[in-house]
Amino acid sequence: MLVSGIDTYWNPVLETLPREKLKELQFKKFKRIVKWGYENSKLYRRMYDEAGFKPDDLKTWADISKVPMLQKEDYRTAQAKDPYPYGDSLCVPLEKVTEYHQTSGTTGQPIYQPDTWQDWEWWSESWAYILWAQGFRNTDRVFIPFGYNIFVAFWAGHYACEKLGCEVVPGGILNTEERLLKIKELRATALMATPTYVLSMAETCRNKLNMDPADLAIDKILCAGEPGASVPTTKKRMEEAWNAQVNDHAGACEVGGWAYECTSQPGGMHANEAFFLVELVDIETGEPIEELNKPGKIVITAFDREAQPCIRFDSKDVSMWAESCECGRTFRVLKGGIHGRVDHISKVKGVLFSPVSVEEVVRGIPELGDEYELIISKKGDTDVITLKVEIDPDSGANQETVEPDLIRQLRLKTNLGYKIEFHEFGSLPRYEIKAKRFKDTRKDH
Amino acid sequence: MKTAEVDLKEMGKIIADIREKVERLIETSGGMQCVDRNCDRILASVKMLELNISDVLEFLD
Repeated sequence: MLVSGIDTYWNPVLETLPREKLKELQFKKFKRIVKWGYENSKLYRRMYDEAGFKPDDLKTWADISKVPMLQKEDYRTAQAKDPYPYGDSLCVPLEKVTEYHQTSGTTGQPIYQPDTWQDWEWWSESWAYILWAQGFRNTDRVFIPFGYNIFVAFWAGHYACEKLGCEVVPGGILNTEERLLKIKELRATALMATPTYVLSMAETCRNKLNMDPADLAIDKILCAGEPGASVPTTKKRMEEAWNAQVNDHAGACEVGGWAYECTSQPGGMHANEAFFLVELVDIETGEPIEELNKPGKIVITAFDREAQPCIRFDSKDVSMWAESCECGRTFRVLKGGIHGRVDHISKVKGVLFSPVSVEEVVRGIPELGDEYELIISKKGDTDVITLKVEIDPDSGANQETVEPDLIRQLRLKTNLGYKIEFHEFGSLPRYEIKAKRFKDTRKDH
Repeated sequence: MKTAEVDLKEMGKIIADIREKVERLIETSGGMQCVDRNCDRILASVKMLELNISDVLEFLD
């Protein structure tokens, strides 16, 4: 068989498989993991029995939507009992588990995540697709400015770099200035970080070390953890600051690294459809969405994870399908990456509001600094949106020159009015990993 | 874009052979941990070859 793209794709066979063949492969793998979950996990057996569903009921593609969706709460209920701490969600003998991680617990009690060595290989394999598509090669020296710990973030990136043959520099224990100096000293060529930290490092580089990050040897940056690298204005800020291509990826502890932007930058991320089933469903009705440009909630299945399978997991992330990408991959593209979480997209003053749209406006005004805060509160019966921003002192701008444009662009983008607060540059919180810039205090009352 | 003639079916056979040989090695180890644990790691890598190559063979023309 003549295979083209040997040097372009990590797996030129799977990544360019015709859609109808890919779908057949996906259905075979979906049936296999559903059977595995049902036969080996009390959690899935209980869920499916209660719904009157049996793995043999999967006869056609349309039957996939009959499989009950898994919620984070289902893991929580199943865990913290024997075999401790994974309880009913574990599908293998405890002695086969070699890796422990957990979710950050942003939405409640953290989920414990067991992985076997095979799962761990699978993690780095799925990340190898991501890194190769973003131009990482064995000639790269990759700096990871992140302290590895119980959260899975960048662990798999590290192992995937090794798989590709990259040289990995673990920069965890260092502070931001020391990391930047080490990047300079070693002439590191690639970086992995959250968008928040990519911008924060650039600011520290300029303001504390008097160095221009664009002069460093970094030419590619992989982003994770936040939507920023898929927000065009934030991506532009990062790319200009570092003189590097910045690409997005999506992953989660319970799921794996399931989507990636490629160097063609199609304005979104490819779902890795050889390793994951990525469904888009209507937020209200749960009906599958196949048409382009219609927002929906992402439901994900990891086909090959054995210790704690992830089958039709309700990620609560929102995105939409896009046109195909010029890179030649047949994996579908999620337009704009992850737009936000269902629980962050709420009605404000009767209008559907997504915090990411505010980020796009703030980062698109060059006179504003990278940081901002967004607070929704209630005054009487009225919703109030407060936006805190900083003016970049190097821009020479002031509140009077910036505010009218900011208000106008926010109105255009979100159809809402804002209370704008200008804060001294450097006074808003800076973050090293995920930022917490959005607060909805209406629920507190 | 680089192109190459690749015999995927032959690759599938070789991958199956590797699995069989490693499993045979485990059977003959008498429980020696230095053999079993390293074989376990090899099998995890073999699984990745199966996901990348063997699983897709039946869907190729």
